[in-house]
Amino acid sequence: MAAPLSVGAVVVITVTTAVIGMRGMRVARTPADFMVAARQVPPLLNASAISGEYLSAASFLGIAGLAMLEGLGALWYAVGYATGYLVLLATVAAPLRRFGAYTIPDFAEGRLGSPRLRRWATVMVLVICGFYLIPQFNGAGITLQATLGGPYWVGVVVLGVVVTTGIASGGMKGITVVQAFLYWIKVTAIAVPAVVLVLAVSHPSFGTVDGPAPTTFTRATLVRFPGTTRMDVSRPVTVRAAGTVDGTRVHGALTLRPGTQVVAAGTSLRFPAGAPAPTVSPVTGSSWSSPLLHLDGRHGHPLAATYGVLLATVFGAMGLPHILVRFYTNRDGQAARRTTAFVLLLVSTFYLFPAVFAVLGRMEAPALYLTGQTDSVVLVLPRIMVAGLGGEVLAALVAAGAFAAFLSTSSGLLIAMAGALSHDIMGWGVRAFRLSALVLGMLVTGAGLLVASVPINVLVGWAFAVAASSFCPLLLLGIWWPRLTRVGAMWGLALGGGTSSLAVVASMAGFGGTGWSALLLGEPAIWTVPVAFAAMVVGSLLTPGAVPANLTDLLVTMHLPERLRRGPVGGAEQVG
Amino acid sequence: MRQAVRAPTRGTIDRTGVPGGDDLLRRDEYGRALLGSLIRAQLGATVSVLGPAVLLLALYPLLAVLVPGLGRDQVIGVPLTLVVLGGGIYPPLVALGFWYVRRAEQLERRFGELLDDR
Repeated sequence: MAAPLSVGAVVVITVTTAVIGMRGMRVARTPADFMVAARQVPPLLNASAISGEYLSAASFLGIAGLAMLEGLGALWYAVGYATGYLVLLATVAAPLRRFGAYTIPDFAEGRLGSPRLRRWATVMVLVICGFYLIPQFNGAGITLQATLGGPYWVGVVVLGVVVTTGIASGGMKGITVVQAFLYWIKVTAIAVPAVVLVLAVSHPSFGTVDGPAPTTFTRATLVRFPGTTRMDVSRPVTVRAAGTVDGTRVHGALTLRPGTQVVAAGTSLRFPAGAPAPTVSPVTGSSWSSPLLHLDGRHGHPLAATYGVLLATVFGAMGLPHILVRFYTNRDGQAARRTTAFVLLLVSTFYLFPAVFAVLGRMEAPALYLTGQTDSVVLVLPRIMVAGLGGEVLAALVAAGAFAAFLSTSSGLLIAMAGALSHDIMGWGVRAFRLSALVLGMLVTGAGLLVASVPINVLVGWAFAVAASSFCPLLLLGIWWPRLTRVGAMWGLALGGGTSSLAVVASMAGFGGTGWSALLLGEPAIWTVPVAFAAMVVGSLLTPGAVPANLTDLLVTMHLPERLRRGPVGGAEQVG
Repeated sequence: MRQAVRAPTRGTIDRTGVPGGDDLLRRDEYGRALLGSLIRAQLGATVSVLGPAVLLLALYPLLAVLVPGLGRDQVIGVPLTLVVLGGGIYPPLVALGFWYVRRAEQLERRFGELLDDR
């Protein structure tokens, strides 16, 4: 079903993004302009841009959907994503900016004096960003398909063309303003509907959300089942059915008896208002409002799972290549700190709202549990709860916000990849950057067209876990521990990055089963982060001779405030 | 040929000719001791901010295991988990962030005065 208002909103967002991005073309002249906006971005604008880049579809759609399905414990993802910036602020923001490294590979080579380490770090940047980017394209295709109608490829191609041309033409200068703009779009698009929907609840009774899930249909609801579904009926209910229920073709009134019923794909059932909603196992009941993460009851170790997600998200944020690039656009270390504090504020503000959709979705949209579409709760709840034009306007707003999320994160990731490829591998220049952006943009768009469904949360979680197990210890130890050596860093990158990647690939392939093995493979950060730190420390202590000869200079550059230095520090604009 | 990008400093006072803090810190044992004290002071600020944050994040899930009824508690009709994870946990985190910025800038100002006294 195509909704004209939602189509219009997505078009407006896309065109505005393209126009603001193109404006950057006139001012971007040198490589520095392209990649780091010539380091002239003031803190609040830069903070908006970083937040715009950071809040992806996983935040805009995924957290509310996961919390609605698995329980409020899923909000730990949001808490972790935000807290990552507190850690980044207090550990790496200022020293990294003062060091002057543009990318993590730059930092690795500059700090430890090893071109080999740089190449490995570059490969990891490309892999992490690539796996982060493909689900964004995939999500864009599915979202446009679900909310606006039309074929899957439209969303993927539109996203690919807008993002690729924007970056190839304007580079970072144009993109900074675009990202800042998209942050404010996203926060508006989630805050306004959230407030309106809370006011629209006729009889708010948040206390009831903890009952056996899901609750009752508050209004007559037509439920279309996309796939064959086993549902448990608790009390008899008479519905209007069209399709096949329990092997029998029905068309008209049907009384569902208590017990398990199998509904065939393509069937639709109309539930009357006030009807108790059937449940789909395994939906957690009484533990819904527990402050622990219960991922489909698979692990049975909710405390360890919660800690695993917190480790990955809190430490992963600082290791995301597309976010770190942005810190170089600050004027100096002090500005980098102020920027990060504002990011923490802006990101936290955003995360106040997904929980609202999760709770309202549980109370007002039980049909989403039946059809397994809880992930789309943010997109569909406005139309379910508010009738007529008001609902259409709110639905258009959230559709625009979701597309803003795809656009901003994809742009940031593509810039980081193009930067890594052109700067670290091809030798740097505006032409190499443009060419890299074009080639990578086309590759990823193609990959987005090929994959039919990628579990976005799994891949995004993987990117965080790998970043937390590789780049995070490299940065923390590199900045604060003078005895880190290139050998230790290599050990840590190989062991931490390798084990975390293998663990996630294995759990995606279905290994692990249940219990501890499922937990250790599915939430690898809980052990791969300590492994990475240990490998770096042990490797460094065994090779004390490999400590860089200019260690004191490096420490001074990272930790001494710029205004206390003499003249231009950190070398000239470009050092061979 | 690949070139490493390093930062130029813009908008800073041109102190060319005046011995800068960087020269001082790498000149002798005393300079290196000063550098060590700066890094330790900064680490102290970091720990004093991240310590409370870690306690906040780590203890709440642990409390939920030790006190199983915690998930069912309500604050004026709203589940406690929603109050904490849906909003209440963010103000202290943001406050810690801005407090760290102030603390780190103070620390650097005092270090600058120390260098100027030399």
